[in-house]
Amino acid sequence: MSAHQDNHPLEDWQASVTAARLEKCPQSVIEMIPYASFIGAQAKIENDQLLYWLDKRPSNIGNPSLPALHGGVIGGFLELAAAVEIIYNLDITAVPKVVDFSLDYLRAGRYKTVYAKCNVLRQGKKLVNVTAIAWQDEENTPIATARCHFLI
Amino acid sequence: MAFDMTMALFRPALKYAMEKNGHGKTLGLKMTEINRGEINLVFPYNEEVVGNPLTGVVHGGVIVSLLDTACGSAAMTVLNTPAVAPTMDLRLDYMHPAEPHKPIYVEAKVYRQTSNVIFCRGLAWQEDKENPIAHCVANFMKVDSKSINFSAIAVTQLRRLMPWGQRSSSEQESGK
Repeated sequence: MSAHQDNHPLEDWQASVTAARLEKCPQSVIEMIPYASFIGAQAKIENDQLLYWLDKRPSNIGNPSLPALHGGVIGGFLELAAAVEIIYNLDITAVPKVVDFSLDYLRAGRYKTVYAKCNVLRQGKKLVNVTAIAWQDEENTPIATARCHFLI
Repeated sequence: MAFDMTMALFRPALKYAMEKNGHGKTLGLKMTEINRGEINLVFPYNEEVVGNPLTGVVHGGVIVSLLDTACGSAAMTVLNTPAVAPTMDLRLDYMHPAEPHKPIYVEAKVYRQTSNVIFCRGLAWQEDKENPIAHCVANFMKVDSKSINFSAIAVTQLRRLMPWGQRSSSEQESGK
């Protein structure tokens, strides 16, 4: 796990990502990031596109009186989804570094499963621009949209 | 400055709601300062929230949660009757990655409010506040507090812990 180990963590990382692509299993990429299991994010391929989802769990509640999902969890989930989208789809070697993140909350996140999809709008030599959209009931009634830049 | 009774009652309620419930409890954040329009909190390093397993750097999503919590709480404190103010949007700039195994400090301030919107900014740093890890701006809507009634619930939870009665909390509850 840590960079202090004698084996080469970056090579292990790259090998795991390559294996996940060959098996068409984005779930194994998302599982390599500890934060994903902290919030409970999962990923699969649906219609040739990555679909991310976050099942409801008490530790993701922000406002217990509604109850509503924590806004930060929705943001963290979308940022995670954007990062996994890059790791899984783009031919890069290192873990992408987030530079900025902008999030619009459109509806309250209710205490139920959240889905997300991402779209890489531009990949440059250094910078990638990704958008992400989160919804609960219908894809056309999103609860939040996000846009982020990653250094690769 | 005159004694602020609303804040004196709201401060423990907010601290309880943020530290002992849901995601705030899971993260293990601690609110260190709660004043009108200003919140400080601290997040101890936690290996469960690592975003880059090669370096041990925490995931950016944690910074989003911390700043959203701090800015959202700061927005609540400027209302006459503190209540949840829903986030409209939040923009975060990551200046450099957080160093592993060190706590993250967060400060949020309301810098402007209008009749409908509360404008906040927040800063996250580790050792040097002049060299922050992230900066954010977040805007919040002012809504009718009765429609959400967060503070009544927070105060009700708090009252369970307190042997003495609180007049102001029963006033807030009557507004359900």
